[in-house]
Amino acid sequence: MAKPLSVAIEAESSEKWEAQLRKGCLEMAVMASLWSGKQYGLEILRVLERDSRLVLAEGTIYPILNRLRVEGLLRSEWVEAEAGHPRKYYELTPPGRDRAIQMALIWTQFSAGLGSLIAPVLSSAARASSSRR
Amino acid sequence: MTNETRIDDYLARLRAALKGMTLEEREDIVEELHMHIRERAGDGSASLENVLAGLGPPEKLAEQYRTGLLLQHARSSISPLVILRATMRSSRTGVEGFVVFLIALWGYAMGVGFVVLALLKPIFPDRTGLWIGPGVFDFSFRMGLNPYYRSSNVHEVLGWWLVPVCLIIGSLSMLATTKAIQLLTKRFRWHVPAAMQNGMALITS
Repeated sequence: MAKPLSVAIEAESSEKWEAQLRKGCLEMAVMASLWSGKQYGLEILRVLERDSRLVLAEGTIYPILNRLRVEGLLRSEWVEAEAGHPRKYYELTPPGRDRAIQMALIWTQFSAGLGSLIAPVLSSAARASSSRR
Repeated sequence: MTNETRIDDYLARLRAALKGMTLEEREDIVEELHMHIRERAGDGSASLENVLAGLGPPEKLAEQYRTGLLLQHARSSISPLVILRATMRSSRTGVEGFVVFLIALWGYAMGVGFVVLALLKPIFPDRTGLWIGPGVFDFSFRMGLNPYYRSSNVHEVLGWWLVPVCLIIGSLSMLATTKAIQLLTKRFRWHVPAAMQNGMALITS
C-alpha cells in the first residue's frame, strides 16, 4: 500500500517542478514567439503548445502579455477579423526586442552551465538503460 | 444554463474581480478574454467547459493581472503604502521578497517615527527633543518622568530646531527606503514576477 502512494507523490512533485520550470521561461517564450511578427493571444498559445512543451494553463498568458505591454516591451492593437472576432495583436517594441535578446543570451548561458552539470547524470542514465536491453 | 449565460457569468465575475485599473483597461481585458473564449470554443476544438477550465477561476485570473500591475506601479510610485503592499505580496514567495519587505517596513517605520516626533514637539515641548550628554544621544519623546530633566550633564540641544530636523530626517528616510526598494525590486525583476507566479501556484495548488 505504501509503494503506490510514494510513486504517486513522486510523479506529482516532478510535475510540479516541471510546471515551475515552464513558468520561469514563459516570458522569454512569449517574447520569442513574437520575434518574427505580430500575433494575438490564441496564436501565441498555439505556437507555444506546438513548438515547445510549454503547454500551460491558458489563463496565464494574458496577464503576462498585459504586464509586458505595461512595461513597454510590447505594444498591442485591436484588429477586426472576419466572422466578427476582433483580435488583440501584440508586437515587440524596440526595448522589447532588446530584452528578448538579453533573455535569450541569459538562457543560453544558463542551460550551457546546467548542461555540463547534468552531463554525468545523463550518461549514467543512458548506460543504465542500454545495459538493460 | 446556456453557453451564452455561462460566458456572460464568467466575464461578469472577471470584471468584478479586476481592481486597481482604469475602466478602459478593465474592459479591454474582459473583451480579450471574451474573444479568446469565443474563438477557442467556437472552432470546435474544445468544449466551453474545457475552455473555461483552461482559463481557471475568474478571480484567480484577475489576481494575476493585479499582481503584475501592482509591481509595476510600485516601481514607478513613491507612495510608501503602494510599495509596502507590493513588497508584502512578494514577501510570500521567498527569502529575498521577505527581506525586501522587512527593509521597507523598517525604513518607513523609522521615517514615520521621526515625523511623529516633529509633530509632538509643539504639543509637548519639554518632553520632546534630542538629549546629548556623556553616553547619551537620545532623540525621543519622554512619557512619564523625564530622567534628563534635572540632569546637569545631559542637555537638550535642538530646541525648536527639532521640528525641521526631524521632518527632514523622516522624509529622507522614507525617500531612501523607497529608492532602496525600487533598486532591489529592479535587481530581482527577473525573479520576483516569476517567483510571484510560482508562489501563487504553490499557494493555490
